[in-house]
Amino acid sequence: MTIPDNAFWYHAAYAVVVVVYAGYAVSIWWRRRAVARRIASHGTR
Amino acid sequence: MKFRTLGAVAIAAVVAVLIRAIYFTPIEALQGAAQKILYVHAPSAWVAFLAFGLVAVASALYLWLRDPRLDYFAESSAEIGLVFTTAVLLTGPLWGKPIWGTYWTWDARLTLTLFLWFVYVGYVILRGAVDDRDMRARYSAVIGILGAALIPFIHLSVYLFRTLHPMPVLMKPSSPSMPPEMTITLVSAFLAFTVLYVWLLRERYQLALDRAAASVVEYDR
Repeated sequence: MTIPDNAFWYHAAYAVVVVVYAGYAVSIWWRRRAVARRIASHGTR
Repeated sequence: MKFRTLGAVAIAAVVAVLIRAIYFTPIEALQGAAQKILYVHAPSAWVAFLAFGLVAVASALYLWLRDPRLDYFAESSAEIGLVFTTAVLLTGPLWGKPIWGTYWTWDARLTLTLFLWFVYVGYVILRGAVDDRDMRARYSAVIGILGAALIPFIHLSVYLFRTLHPMPVLMKPSSPSMPPEMTITLVSAFLAFTVLYVWLLRERYQLALDRAAASVVEYDR
């Protein structure tokens, strides 16, 4: 019996997972930065 | 532990698990290398269920205690649960195609998981649509509790219905039905993704607190 050659699919799945989780972490960082700037702009007026 | 440190630990743990899965975990003889999708698919599902379960707990406590911090916690956990469910719904078809010959089939587990995803998409949309803070918190708490009620059905769906989706290999009453090398990788992945959840939750909860502070600053002007 030969083992199926289908490594492409798990490479694709791992890439998807990295993009989804890294993208989400960046989105939190981005949104926190925007809120911090909003607060700072009110404090300096 | 500082949360910047927690972030570094979470990222390092996930990277270590992926390296172990890719280079140091044997290839399953029947499914081939595609079976390695298990090491990101199942832990993502676990974290999604954990996140939505905690949404339900925090939401129930909010309805009882009316503490806005519980609402912020539920909001944060729901958003992260939605992200992990999205990963489950993307990696599942990538596993299904080489093994089942199709990306998608309308069987009980897949359909219920998609339904769960839509429920929490609705939760997030609702939070953006209601301006009144108390009303938003109450409505979303109810959806958060009802949505989490799907989780036991999703987990048990492979026992209750005839389905293409395989039975659990780890989260079941009997011992794991995998070789030790694979089991160690899978358990490590569960731990690493849980740490990732804790870090993301802390960061997202802080964002919710910052937004509340910003709205107070703007209101006071």
